[in-house]
Amino acid sequence: MRARLLQKRRLCTLNQQRQQRRCRQRPINQVTKSNFAESLQSLKTHIASAEYIAVSTRKTGSFAAPWRRILPFLDTAETAYLKSKDAAERFQILQFAVCPFTVSESKVVAHPYNFHLFPRDELNVGMPPSYSFSCQTSYLTYMAREGFDFNSCIYDGISYLSRVQETSAKNRLGKPLGGIYPMKSSSTHSVADSLFLERIRARVQNWMNVCKDKKDIEVPEDSLVRSLRKLISFLGVELHGSRPCMNIDVCNERQVQLALEMLSKFSSDLVPLVIPGKSGEPQAVRVVLTSSEEDKNLLERELQDAEDEETRKIRGFREVIDAISSSQKPIVAFDCLHEFTFIHSKFVAPLPHSMNEFMCSLLMVFPHILDVNHLLKEISPLKKASNIPAAFAHLRRRFSIPIDMEIPHQAPDGESDNHGHHVLLTVNLFAKLSSILKTTHAALTDFPVNDVESLESYMNIFTPSSAGLPEQPKEENVWISNTAKVSTEDLVFIWGFRQGMLAEQLKSCLSGTHNVFSEDFDVRLADKSCAILVFWKPGLAKILLDAMDSGSVGCDSLRELVSEGLKATGYEAYKRVCSLGLWETDLADSFDRSLTEQLQECNKDADCGKKAMEVYWSSDSINLDEL
Amino acid sequence: MLLKLGILLLMMMLVYLTLFNLSSQYILVKKITRKNFNSALIDLRHQVREADFVSVDLEMTGVTTAPWRESLVFDRFDILYLKIKDSVENFAVVQFGICPFCWDASKDSFIAHPYTFYIFPRKELQFDAPAYEFLCQTASMEFLAKYQFDFNACIREGVSYLSRAQEATALSRLNSSNQDDESSNEGWRLKEGGDAELVSFADILFTERMKERISQWRNSLLSNTKGVQSEENSNDLNAKFQTVFFKMRPSIRLDGFTSRQHRLIQQVIRKHFKDLAYVRTVDDKYLKQKLVVYTDSDEDRRLLMKEVKTELCKGAELKVNAAVGFRHVVDLLSSEGKLVVGHNCFLDIAHIYNKFIGPLPSTVEEFATLVHKEFPFIIDTKYLLKADNVIKNLMKRNSTSLSSAFLYLCPQLASIRSSPFLAVQSCVKVEVQVDDMSSSDWNSGAKHEAGYDAIMTGCVFAQVCSHLGVDFKSSPSEGLIQNEKLQKYLNYVYISGRDGAIIDLGTGKEFPEPFDLYDRLRQRNKVVFQNIVVLWGFHSNFKPKDMKECLTKVFGLGSVTSVYYLDETAAFVQFSKEKFVSDFLTVKESLEKANDVISVVHPLAKLLEGGKTRAAPYEAYKEICSSSASQILFAEQAETVNRRQKIREVEFKHKSGSEESCDEMQSTSRHHLPFEELIDVCSTGSQ
Repeated sequence: MRARLLQKRRLCTLNQQRQQRRCRQRPINQVTKSNFAESLQSLKTHIASAEYIAVSTRKTGSFAAPWRRILPFLDTAETAYLKSKDAAERFQILQFAVCPFTVSESKVVAHPYNFHLFPRDELNVGMPPSYSFSCQTSYLTYMAREGFDFNSCIYDGISYLSRVQETSAKNRLGKPLGGIYPMKSSSTHSVADSLFLERIRARVQNWMNVCKDKKDIEVPEDSLVRSLRKLISFLGVELHGSRPCMNIDVCNERQVQLALEMLSKFSSDLVPLVIPGKSGEPQAVRVVLTSSEEDKNLLERELQDAEDEETRKIRGFREVIDAISSSQKPIVAFDCLHEFTFIHSKFVAPLPHSMNEFMCSLLMVFPHILDVNHLLKEISPLKKASNIPAAFAHLRRRFSIPIDMEIPHQAPDGESDNHGHHVLLTVNLFAKLSSILKTTHAALTDFPVNDVESLESYMNIFTPSSAGLPEQPKEENVWISNTAKVSTEDLVFIWGFRQGMLAEQLKSCLSGTHNVFSEDFDVRLADKSCAILVFWKPGLAKILLDAMDSGSVGCDSLRELVSEGLKATGYEAYKRVCSLGLWETDLADSFDRSLTEQLQECNKDADCGKKAMEVYWSSDSINLDEL
Repeated sequence: MLLKLGILLLMMMLVYLTLFNLSSQYILVKKITRKNFNSALIDLRHQVREADFVSVDLEMTGVTTAPWRESLVFDRFDILYLKIKDSVENFAVVQFGICPFCWDASKDSFIAHPYTFYIFPRKELQFDAPAYEFLCQTASMEFLAKYQFDFNACIREGVSYLSRAQEATALSRLNSSNQDDESSNEGWRLKEGGDAELVSFADILFTERMKERISQWRNSLLSNTKGVQSEENSNDLNAKFQTVFFKMRPSIRLDGFTSRQHRLIQQVIRKHFKDLAYVRTVDDKYLKQKLVVYTDSDEDRRLLMKEVKTELCKGAELKVNAAVGFRHVVDLLSSEGKLVVGHNCFLDIAHIYNKFIGPLPSTVEEFATLVHKEFPFIIDTKYLLKADNVIKNLMKRNSTSLSSAFLYLCPQLASIRSSPFLAVQSCVKVEVQVDDMSSSDWNSGAKHEAGYDAIMTGCVFAQVCSHLGVDFKSSPSEGLIQNEKLQKYLNYVYISGRDGAIIDLGTGKEFPEPFDLYDRLRQRNKVVFQNIVVLWGFHSNFKPKDMKECLTKVFGLGSVTSVYYLDETAAFVQFSKEKFVSDFLTVKESLEKANDVISVVHPLAKLLEGGKTRAAPYEAYKEICSSSASQILFAEQAETVNRRQKIREVEFKHKSGSEESCDEMQSTSRHHLPFEELIDVCSTGSQ
């Protein structure tokens, strides 16, 4: 009895690491092809009653090179988006965890599901993401170590099509059986049209007479006779399900229209279906004879169901996305920019070129998104935490917020899978953060608000985190803690120095080589091949760039460096690299490629220089908070 | 003792039973993962050395990165190579099947040892090499799944590898990092900037504390050597700084410090303790270790540093050597210089080169030269099946796909009794040797498992050899490589899945199909590349019919030889004359510039509708193919390449006088693109 009670209410106060580990063993509904339909049903009911929906995904890779991660000291929202976009287009989601949950006081009721996905090009749409995807071996190795079952993923994963893919597939496949065909009233009939009409009218009339005759002799009979009769009548009259039907062959759209027009006038018992051929062009019009108005309605409903079924098959997992989207509930995720570029590109549409367009398009589908990463940044002691374990560690040190997590449903016995536990950690972290924020909020406003409202101001703001490759060794920050915004105009990228140099070595090499270095400046490595100079005094960056561009470098020592191969460029070049997708392993190589190509272009295009100047002056601010 | 040995021998003989020959139902293939790789490599070394030939087969995660990257009728020889190159550079090899065949005169049969290696490019070395990344084509993954491919075995247990190029960079990186270590071992070389600044109060405190502790340790050490027993005297500091011996010298291990703290400690040592050395090394388990070591003199110190350095190098070299992994098999294959047999194996060879030797060169000629150096004797069984008339008659109308050739030519092995040719022809016997059946390392072979495909290829090759009259018995010493009957088949390989293009790996040149296949030959000859324009970005409803119609309106009937759609966004148009290419480009350009009535009513207006239609001569297609960008739709690919390096629609100057080939050609539309009504043309009926 006691055991059962314990089982029923699995409590987990996640304020200690030990308990975190226990949380990993919680039952999470694992969903594959075989149990997708029923899980979808139960998920929909849970979504309907939930306050929030947390999502978290498992991908085949993230950022391929150190500089291609989102670097807080380097990336504006725009370049961060471009980096995320590249990753989202490259890699694939293999698991998608969804967890509708409600929070009341310190109690969280959660219903976690983990969907196993594998895109198949079942309809030969031949467009991304279902044509191919990339994998990073380090990710796969890491997943393998965690016990990820690749066989079950590829054999039993649920397939899906994005919204755009679905439309395109439908266009290509033509209307599925029984689709409502748009009727155009045709004005005049040519001779050929009239001939065609006459011929099919006669055929239909003939066929209907035969059918009616058969029906007339119908007398009460046992099932054997009936099925026999069915067999025999099948020889003479084709059947659509249990109803007699006939096919009218058509050669083009025009004939389809004519046939439909004729049939609508002919008899109300007839239901026309357009049968598409291989290439999606209509091949025939199938006429189904119904016995009564009731029967006709029944048939139409059947057809509708069949179409729905077909659509469901096409959409696959995207039904879940559509369910989340239509619920309009706030969605909670960690590192939203990254997650939602993936979700958008896989389930909605290809990613647009700019962050703004992306946000517009995304918010049309998911109007309320809460980035846990952003919430962390709002609570000053937690600012530095860039991943979930770090956030928990910081929380433990500063706050004591017991959260009572209840997961009412039971996963089937014997299933010890803990895949998708990340979503529960997200839920838990969110619950803690929102309780902190609510308290501060209440203290400020002095009147009670409900949970969702208190979080309103944090909605739809994405703070990219720099959580990157799992294998990346944690380098220590020797960076002076400094909270400052710096304009992108005051940043200079330099490369071509000896690889393996440390930032401080580089700084000491540079200082004294030019007047600009007598002012305060900082050096930070973007990757091992390229560094960023931050000038705290405006204008210096441009002076340096000009000096290095013009062959007459003012100082001998700077010229010395340049002749050794040192190169420099402004922030524009970095933006250009990101937007053109020149994703080389080393940032230096990307810059070199970008510059040579720009040079080629300039030779062709005389007014290139002017254009470059115009964009050069547009400035963004980037946040140097994280330094 | 003798008895024991006898029993042992007997047992070994029993275990070493040959399982499969005529009577068995299936072929057993040894499955190799990293667990049993090393022992398998030892066996394989021996077997390859003994072998008369070795057959290979690979399974990959995909073949084409986009529909238009499939090999098309309009692909020139050099472009076929670019497409293969793109495929090889993007996809991973997940299974490597290898099967040495050795003629056993006493049994009058071949002895085969089929292996399936699961391989996976795991990143074994922690150097800052770029993250490995590869592409999966969903259709290929499904194909593998259909044949029960074990993805878990591959990813969890697959044997990793380094190509020769990767190994070389790893070693050089290692050396340079060791040099760095050396320089840091000996202290900063840089002037002032080398010192880590003591930026915070905490740093200063830490530095002071360390100085104190280290000097205490050193003092206790010195007083010990002087004979004063202060062992019991040790306070809690010694609990932290345990004296250990490193290369016979007293030292302390620095555990649990952050990298910044390490830096500070290093600084303290350098500044204040002339007789202590800060040493980085690795222990037996290749874990990084940092120590402070006491040295007696400067001389002693130098000695120590040298020792540490060589040890580090050796350790790292061992590690790199271990990471080479599966490449040892390829090295073995190459160094033994055996005859390598594959079926339709150009893609396989390219993968082998790229994955285990080095990056693919940009031209097919260079590639052939490089491959020829590594593998001087290659036979493509597909070529073999088609090139000889005896075999061709034998094959009749059977498909030359591996499995059907195997079923047809080697029915005794495929355990099908009723073959028309069993009665007429003698069959080459092949025995699969299976040792140690008890282990679970055996897969019962199935189609499209690399090891099984390899043995099928080998059997087909052996059977064909026997039909060609190659006598295995007489010439075991000089080997098959020297056999004159095989000379004319050596190194001729089909370059792509498409029929017709064969490469001579000895020269790197395209080799015209020597055998009739009359109509195919004609078909290829008809493609005149300089008469071709590539068009993309036109309206998606613009059908090939329309394309031809509007072009003939401008250039006259018969001006357009054929229209071929690469995918729904792009098309090749072959004109009857080279001049039309430049004419077309000029007309197009002028129409785009002019914004008047004529440009609206012009027959080409429909083609240019939307203003996104681009056109370029055939050479631009090559440039687009060679780009590393991988867009699914051709138009997008072209635009990406265009954006990166403006492809200019330049006039294409060249000599005229190419023959006019007015026959139109049936384009072989790909299965999933419904372009049956591509062009209203006569069919060559080749398919």
